[in-house]
Amino acid sequence: MNAFLAPNDYKSPLKPIWCPGCGDYGVLQALYRALSAVGRPPHEIAFISGIGCSSRIPGYTTAYGFNTLHGRALPIAQGVKLANPDLLVIVAGGDGDGFSIGGGHVPHVIRRNVDLTYLVMDNQVYGLTKGQLSPTSPRGLKTVTSPMGSLEQPINPLLTVLAYGAGFVAQATPADMPGMTALIEEAIRYPGFSFVNIQSPCITFGEEDQQLKAHKARMKPLASLGHDPANQLAALDLARAYGTELYTGVFYRNPSPPPTYDALVRQRQVELQKGEPRSRSRVLDGYLKA
Amino acid sequence: MTPVTGIDFERITLRDALDLAVLIEEEARDRYEEFADQLAAHDTPEVADFFSRMARIEERHRTELLERRRTLFGSAPSAVDRRALFDVEAPGYEAARAFMGVRQALETVLAAEVKAHTFFSEALPRVKDPELKVLFQELREEEVHHQALVKAELARCSEKPDDSEAYADDPNAQ
Amino acid sequence: MIEDLVVGLAGSGGDGVVSAGESLLAAASSQGFYAMMTKSFGSQIRGGESSCRVRLSTRKVLNPGGVLDVAVALNWEDFRRFGAELPIGPGTVLIHEAKAGPPPADLAPSGRMPREVIGVPLAELAKASAGTDRAKTTIVLGVLSGWFGVPQEALDRGLQKKFAQKGEGLLEANRKALARGISFAAEHPLAAPRALARPEASAPKLLCDGNEMCASAAIFSGCEFFGGYPITPSTEVMQILSRELPRYGGVVLQAEDEISGVGATVGASFAGKKSMTATSGPGMSLKTEMLGLASIAELPLVLLNVQRGGPSTGMPTKPEQADLFQAAFSAHGDVLRPVLAPSSVEDTFRLTVEAFNLAEKYQTPVVILSDQEIAQRKETVDPIDVSRFEVLERLRPTSEQLTGGYQRFAETPSGVSPLSHPGMQGGNYLAAGIEHDVKGAPTASGATHAAMNTKRFRKLAPLQERSDLFERQGPPDAPIALVSWGSSAGVAREAFALARARRLPVKLLIPSLLYPVAEPVYRAFFASVRAGLVLELSHQGQLYRVLRMFVDVPPGVTSFARSGAQPFRADELLERLEQQAEALR
Ligand SMILES: Cc1ncc(C[n+]2csc(CCOP(=O)(O)OP(=O)(O)O)c2C)c(N)n1
Ligand code: SF4
Ligand SMILES: [Mg+2]
Repeated sequence: MNAFLAPNDYKSPLKPIWCPGCGDYGVLQALYRALSAVGRPPHEIAFISGIGCSSRIPGYTTAYGFNTLHGRALPIAQGVKLANPDLLVIVAGGDGDGFSIGGGHVPHVIRRNVDLTYLVMDNQVYGLTKGQLSPTSPRGLKTVTSPMGSLEQPINPLLTVLAYGAGFVAQATPADMPGMTALIEEAIRYPGFSFVNIQSPCITFGEEDQQLKAHKARMKPLASLGHDPANQLAALDLARAYGTELYTGVFYRNPSPPPTYDALVRQRQVELQKGEPRSRSRVLDGYLKA
Repeated sequence: MTPVTGIDFERITLRDALDLAVLIEEEARDRYEEFADQLAAHDTPEVADFFSRMARIEERHRTELLERRRTLFGSAPSAVDRRALFDVEAPGYEAARAFMGVRQALETVLAAEVKAHTFFSEALPRVKDPELKVLFQELREEEVHHQALVKAELARCSEKPDDSEAYADDPNAQ
Repeated sequence: MIEDLVVGLAGSGGDGVVSAGESLLAAASSQGFYAMMTKSFGSQIRGGESSCRVRLSTRKVLNPGGVLDVAVALNWEDFRRFGAELPIGPGTVLIHEAKAGPPPADLAPSGRMPREVIGVPLAELAKASAGTDRAKTTIVLGVLSGWFGVPQEALDRGLQKKFAQKGEGLLEANRKALARGISFAAEHPLAAPRALARPEASAPKLLCDGNEMCASAAIFSGCEFFGGYPITPSTEVMQILSRELPRYGGVVLQAEDEISGVGATVGASFAGKKSMTATSGPGMSLKTEMLGLASIAELPLVLLNVQRGGPSTGMPTKPEQADLFQAAFSAHGDVLRPVLAPSSVEDTFRLTVEAFNLAEKYQTPVVILSDQEIAQRKETVDPIDVSRFEVLERLRPTSEQLTGGYQRFAETPSGVSPLSHPGMQGGNYLAAGIEHDVKGAPTASGATHAAMNTKRFRKLAPLQERSDLFERQGPPDAPIALVSWGSSAGVAREAFALARARRLPVKLLIPSLLYPVAEPVYRAFFASVRAGLVLELSHQGQLYRVLRMFVDVPPGVTSFARSGAQPFRADELLERLEQQAEALR
């Protein structure tokens, strides 16, 4: 196929401006490696994001990037994939981007099963706008918009996405770089919608017990628990521990992935185009009244 | 957890080991360059300079090792690539901080050198090839030497904890 | 012999007046008549008041007509609900269900009741001929055929189409009802007979509505992607494209909301395909943020916005022209987004092609601002020679540009930079909503921002010179101006023709390009003008106000505007023009 592409071939000359120590640096590095492992040339990759600190990530790669609107990466990515199913389409963003303002799009991309890989950098806070409450912030969290402590139950991204029926659901942390790299690669290779919740700490506004040091102490690889990723019910059960346990690895991988939406669309196009090709110039003929 | 994936130290050849050593230095060099960029972008020029210096040191090590590899094995293709390495000598991304002081930076480097030392120490018992053993011992000693240099610099550094953060503006909302 | 006949029918949804109107329209158009039909409903899904207007003519039909020549009321309550939409006057032949009793005295808004009022025992005749009073609209078709000369063979063909599959018995029964209607007309001749003249033989015409035209033109233009969310009165475009686009290798995505619909459209355009979305007021509000993204990322995109009565849910089934401000100005930042308004069904084809061309040529979102009347009215259109239309493609980078450090937003004299797309080797770039430099790298530099704004405006500057996007009629030095757009333009055209016939010194301007305001075109047009009217269906008179923002509109030119669902009539417009001419004398 293609000549070997090293991780650095996916690294753009644009320098990240994340705060030093931000978890997103590790995610970016893992992504370079995963992309190198998958081996698609950068010009065949469309990397779509929303708005947030995490959403800056496409600009740091050599892929075609699109840093879109807050919460709207998934719709745009679906348009890209349906317009050209040959592209590798990756979507990334924050917890606020994906599960607050953009939350309405999540069930739909999943039920359609568009072949995208969705990486959420979940830091339980709004980084870009300076530390407000996010939909995954733990109850009781004090932030500038919850000065007396949040009264809200956080959303559980893993459980939500599993319940919507996603075929590939995993969780990673930059505290385990090899593990995260392997998971991103596996998610990209999964034929269908895949989701990786990346616990990517915000060094500037995040809680002390959410930093990588704490992750290193707390994380539990699902493999070490003997979890079978083909077992959807077990996955749902384990996912309930979001917020208390830090499980890493694949929660669920559909052992027999159904056809993707983009593949079905293409199949239908091919069927409908059999026979005499249609001329766009004859489009009005059907309205002629003899 | 080993920072090197997919390499069997019992079977590794001298050529692959040299390539691995080159890549370890390369990874460290890249990381220090990134840190230098990060701190330059975050108004901490002296630490940015320090990390640039570190990057140059790592680059020197890398070229030395690369020379050796060339002399011994010419340009025969390499069987190891960067994807197998995860922060062997490179400090983890979490180590950087906006407005970090030189002292903190030195501590970061020291921790990274210790980490590399541990890596070679742990790998050594598994290495069977005598020639390779020598190389790994040498590389490990190299790390001890680096540690000493860093410790010496640390000793020259003021004992006072760094307080640049206290003077910095609050973060900006975007 | 008369050459023009405006028929209005009203009843309850269960009566099937709309379907009778459709039969009439189909019959007339198959006979070579020019015809137009509009429908109007209450707010129920089934049943409730419903009405339609059919205008038949031997000449091109410009609008649905003013005061009805023939009014058919199946009951008075429903008829009344349509008020100014079905105006009657002394010259109207008012046909009503006999059993509903004589018309209420206050039925005509002017107080001037029709001279000829005929009660037809519709239900009774239907029962007697077809065996069911449901066939009363077929009796209506029969009497219309008898009194006004709509050919029976054509109506019969319509019955065949409608009833043949539903059972032989039904077709036969309705044929009897049609014959009975015709014989009733013969037994009760009109006091003032008026039969339609036969049209000249002509090539077969198209019969379609504005949404069908728009969808067809999108296909013709090479559209390959549609993303949208259903909303009346634009939905038909998505429905047609859902059926048709895949046959041309395209895709339609019914998204979960308008944001996602236009988002997917932006994504497909980024991926290199001609893309489109369609909506109406409330959906347009949701799409606004994404339009801004397409503007700054310089991605081509066509948005059809079919106006309905607003604000909010407003009157989804009624026409209004009150979304011009929204189309032109709903944006944050300095944005210039072309807005085109078709003024007829036929015009929708031309302007949809134009919209795709502008979008691709200038790498910008373009709004087609249609309205409920044009989008949903069916009319005959002379065959369109599509080879007249040029189809433009976006400027793509050359292979040298792709190998030599491609700059997505390169400064060029025209302001248009070559646009790559994923899959194109060497064209890799970062598209973004954030301000960027020539390579697409994010920036917060005021100087770069200013340069990029200048570039984004510069590329659209040629629109100022597009006088071909304006219809001008009448003597160039006429002192009275008549300006109108969208569906109201059809009434303006007719009033203009009447005014010219009376030798009034009037000239007509119908802009297809509403925004940006092509200042030189208006300046030239207004040079001789001392009085005039800007005609549009909105409370505020939005075009009038937009013009005053950019152009020195002569003080004698005033706004003639009123809220939607109260269409203008050529006669009232003519009256105004006469007053203006009088004042100038
Ligand atoms: C429509 C809209 N509303 C609000 C914002 C402001 N905004 C930008 S990013 C953001 C939240 C970022 O949080 P998250 O998505 O978790 O990303 P992070 O910065 O934490 O990576 C907000 C509220 C916006 N850009 N657009
Ligand atoms: S604010 Fe937080 S999430 Fe944003 S760059 Fe800084 S550390 Fe990362
Ligand atoms: Mg966040």
